[in-house]
Amino acid sequence: MNSPSPQNADPPQTLFENFFEFSPDAIVVSDGNGRITNVNSQVERVFGYTRAELLGVPVETLMPERFRAAHPSHRGSYSDKPSTRPMGTGLELYGRRKDGREFPVDIMLSPVETSGGAIFLSVVRDISEKKRAEEKVRQSEGQLQELIDVMPQQVFVFDSDWNPLFANRRELEYTGLTLQEARSKDAVAKIFHPEDFKKLETMRERTRSEGAPFEMEARIRGKDGQYRWFLIRDNPLRDEQGHVRRWYGTRTDIEDRKRTEEAWNKAQAELAHVTRVMTMGELAASIAHEVNQPIAGIVMNASTCLRWLAADPPNLEEVREAARRIIRDGERAGDVIARIRALATKTDTARERLDMNETIRAVVVLVRDELYRYRVMLRKEFAEDLSPVLGDRVQLQQVVLNLVMNAIESMSEVADRPRELVIKTQNDEGGQVQVAVQDSGIGLDPQSKERIFDAFYTTKPSGMGMGLSISRSIVQNHEGRLWAVANDGPGTTLHFTVPKYHP
Amino acid sequence: MSTRPLISVVDDDVSVREALQSLLRSVGFAVRVFASAEEFLKSDYLRDTGCLILDVRMPGMSGIELHRHLVAGHSEVPVIFITAHGSDRETRSRAIRDGAVDYLSKPFSEDALLNAVRTALGPK
Repeated sequence: MNSPSPQNADPPQTLFENFFEFSPDAIVVSDGNGRITNVNSQVERVFGYTRAELLGVPVETLMPERFRAAHPSHRGSYSDKPSTRPMGTGLELYGRRKDGREFPVDIMLSPVETSGGAIFLSVVRDISEKKRAEEKVRQSEGQLQELIDVMPQQVFVFDSDWNPLFANRRELEYTGLTLQEARSKDAVAKIFHPEDFKKLETMRERTRSEGAPFEMEARIRGKDGQYRWFLIRDNPLRDEQGHVRRWYGTRTDIEDRKRTEEAWNKAQAELAHVTRVMTMGELAASIAHEVNQPIAGIVMNASTCLRWLAADPPNLEEVREAARRIIRDGERAGDVIARIRALATKTDTARERLDMNETIRAVVVLVRDELYRYRVMLRKEFAEDLSPVLGDRVQLQQVVLNLVMNAIESMSEVADRPRELVIKTQNDEGGQVQVAVQDSGIGLDPQSKERIFDAFYTTKPSGMGMGLSISRSIVQNHEGRLWAVANDGPGTTLHFTVPKYHP
Repeated sequence: MSTRPLISVVDDDVSVREALQSLLRSVGFAVRVFASAEEFLKSDYLRDTGCLILDVRMPGMSGIELHRHLVAGHSEVPVIFITAHGSDRETRSRAIRDGAVDYLSKPFSEDALLNAVRTALGPK
């Protein structure tokens, strides 16, 4: 490469004149009175004047009329404190072409001391292109903002510590919060259901360290004071070092879905209940008929025995015949019961992975009226980390329903203490999930405790004596156990276990 | 010597049939048993029957239907219904309205049965 040799170089004067003349920016030189003393060729191109037209005219010539009047005073204050700086910081500046067209400009001012006094350089850059690009960005930002605002979800940006930086219009519309309230960190505490807020805090604490996306369902209060269910999703934005810088969050209204789910669960539980009642009703008729026949026979044959024994002389042959029929009919009645038991516990069950807590909740919905009617307080002590079980939802609901109804009935006469029903779930040490239904009712005497699981044994005036017998068979079919324990205080606790689900 | 009154029993259940037959015989009645309404109608015993014990529900013609059939044929034989289906009050009151002497739910006591039978047979 040939570097220019010193003897070939332009003299400095010419070099700087060339810099001035061919600068890509328009440069206007003016004197202390604001008169133009020189311009470069770019000024001619940008403003459409010839150099000759501009020399000696005020610099205000190059600006739109509306700014001209105020300009000399700006100029004056600049002359008092001259420095190299942009002109009109924060203002939008415009140039005016000879043909009257205006265009946006950036202007840098620079004072120069010369032997002939101070002169001022104004470096003017046409920023029409930049402005157009900015406008485009603004438009696209506006569209994006509009899109975010009309999205059917609430959209958020949080800093790494979950201070809200942005919330879309949906949030404000739904919650009724002001923009300022929505930007405050404790906004969530105000609008989240207290239970769900606790969950959210735990969730955030956990994900803060992991920096992983999370989602949860929570109830959020609307401006009408009503809670609706939302699906909360937060996704982290990380920097190059992997630190979380932002959380992008959405809240999607899932109230309708929740309601459908709830209605579905309720319908299913009600269906199970109806099925149970119908089955029990049909069973009762069938049992009555099937058992009453041999029992009628037994009663009459026993009468016959007595009659023949009382005859003079007693007819022992007739007595023997009647006694044989008694034995036959007794066995027949026993067979009927065995058949009913087999029917009630038939094994074609639909086993699936179940959350026992959910299964119980569905039953609790059904007995709300009963609880209310008998003024029974229900306390649920559900293990939050309860393992799933493998079971037949409807059958296990029948078991829970039986135990709960028994518990409620056992308390119907209690007047001297609270009628309290406690349902507990827990993981037991034997790899099973244990459910306990505890009442503060009349309790069981030791004799009854042995017999309550027998078919047709009942302590209730109108009971069939089938509930616990069938319940135990169902639980046993699930490879679980069902047993009764007398409470330390009043009442009884029925426990049953179901094996955990193993995928 | 007066002939012993004949009691006819129609019940599809063998335990009940045999027990009734044996008990009523031990009391001194003559007893004929039938496993269905059709079997009873085919027999000639309607004429001699002083009291008819009918199971309410039976396969084929029910006890209720047999009773109506007899009433429609101007038979005046007294009828006692027995049933293993519990006390269905409506069926019971209709049966009594239709002229039945009694309506007994199985299992019934010897006394209840014999009282009904004696009522059906009337004073000697």
